[in-house]
Amino acid sequence: MKSKSRTISAFIITALLCLGLFVIAVNTGSLKATPRQLFSGLFIEYDKTVAAIYDLRFPRIFIAMLGGAAMAVSGVLLQAVMKNPLADPGIIGISSGASFTAVLIAAFYPQLFFVTPVFAFFGGGFACFLVFFLSWKGGLDPLRLILVGVAVNAMFTGLMSCFNSATGSEYTGAASIVNANITMKTWADLKTLICYAVPGLVLALSAAKRCDLLGLEDKTVRSLGVNVNGSRLFISFAACLLASISTAVIGPISFLGLIVPHIARLLVGSSHRILIPYTMLLGAFVFLLADTVGRRIAYPYEISASMIMSVVGGPFFIILLRRSVKKNG
Amino acid sequence: MAEVFEIDKLNYSYGDNHVIKDLSVKIPEGKITTLIGANGCGKSTLFDLITKNLKPRSGSIKLKGKDISGIKLRDFAKQVAIVHQYNTAPDDMTVKKLIGYGRTPHKSFITPGSTEEDEEKIELAMKITNTEDYKDKAISQLSGGMRQRVWIAMALAQDTKILFLDEPTTYLDIRYQLEILRLVKRLKTEYNITVVMVLHDIDQSLYYSDEMIAMKDGRVIAQGEPEKMISQELIKEVYGVELRLTYIDGKPFVLPI
Repeated sequence: MKSKSRTISAFIITALLCLGLFVIAVNTGSLKATPRQLFSGLFIEYDKTVAAIYDLRFPRIFIAMLGGAAMAVSGVLLQAVMKNPLADPGIIGISSGASFTAVLIAAFYPQLFFVTPVFAFFGGGFACFLVFFLSWKGGLDPLRLILVGVAVNAMFTGLMSCFNSATGSEYTGAASIVNANITMKTWADLKTLICYAVPGLVLALSAAKRCDLLGLEDKTVRSLGVNVNGSRLFISFAACLLASISTAVIGPISFLGLIVPHIARLLVGSSHRILIPYTMLLGAFVFLLADTVGRRIAYPYEISASMIMSVVGGPFFIILLRRSVKKNG
Repeated sequence: MAEVFEIDKLNYSYGDNHVIKDLSVKIPEGKITTLIGANGCGKSTLFDLITKNLKPRSGSIKLKGKDISGIKLRDFAKQVAIVHQYNTAPDDMTVKKLIGYGRTPHKSFITPGSTEEDEEKIELAMKITNTEDYKDKAISQLSGGMRQRVWIAMALAQDTKILFLDEPTTYLDIRYQLEILRLVKRLKTEYNITVVMVLHDIDQSLYYSDEMIAMKDGRVIAQGEPEKMISQELIKEVYGVELRLTYIDGKPFVLPI
């Protein structure tokens, strides 16, 4: 547990950084608006530039923040439930399971667009079940779990690419999920995300105590009168929900759910009542940062946030993996 | 004599491996009862069955006359606390927070704030186990013996009249072993807690127990007060080795060489 003042300053500094990044993100692109102009354009009088920014960039920014928060929190929950600091919804296949079903919907039943997250949830839940089921051998060995997860991930990613190619790339809805492209997002997409992500985040917050308890041995948790498997199921449900819905809207993002919780733990400790809210904030910041960097780095071309995350996340994952191998023997 | 646990014709098997065979035994109230037996005799399985970590294939386990299969996990945890042999906690968890987890069965997940009663029980648990001075330290900073006392404190915070300890002295050096065993004795005499434990050291079992249960091949082969129960023949039967007995101040000791 870290000291209170440290925790509070971590929250405040991250929130300020988030705000600053927001202003930068709003001003990234051909249209510019100063903070003052932005404020008056939004709340006081109509401003053409601000109105355009409001329609084009705001949804994208909010989607990046909310999706990033959801994905990062999903990582925290999975790490608690699998007792494995390497668990990440992207790496172990939940995201690809979710995006596979989302692609199916986009390709074959585009009229079901609004409920895509529901189907994505089934896909993500199924992938999560597969990983648990296939790696369970009287317990969860951290490395076996990751290996099984990587295989499940590869399978769903492959299936998704197959369908994407077989149905032709004119199905832009499907393609945007595959490529994790959030360029063309609208207020409608944001509403969809809010509908599912906010309940998911509330669920995650309510699971904080259970996550803390799972840090102890299963037998010990049971001796405290807690149904261990029930708690696992509850937390996994919340994790799958968060990962699937954000995948359905922003596409599969790897490593976000790994990097953010890891940094968050270093800053605010491992008590989930603090860790989960802080991870939300940091997740929003990091993913918006990835998106903004992607938009600026090769302007006027864009590099998608998921690519940035993969490039940065890969080495990070290898470092964590090496450290955990040393620790476990 | 009142019983806290009454076990009748209990059976359990892992696949084809029949570990507990028609086992019947009674555990007395207000005493320290120790389970002894060779490795693989089924004592850990019996321990897991009594503490609801495993479900029996057949037979019954009654806690004060009530079958434990009908007692909810949470209600069971209000009556019986268990310290398992192997425990882990996040590195940065503080002693006080961990001990506070002992209050879990007494509160709901929805309103997890701690009441005055919770605080009192936690303070008392820390006082009994002498862990107050370390309450803000992280678990990872403590020695093995201290850590074991913290786990016992967590169980005490559960505020139960029955306490199970699975090999509480394993991995500890002799000084800490004695510290834990003396603590166990105090729990019985001063706080009237019924203790059931698994121990590997026969001499410590003989010295600190009021009642001993010897197991072999999934069955109870002897039960009773240590002085009356122990014999060279019994040791031969339980462990398969010939050891001599000696008496100091009228109390029996086994020479483990």
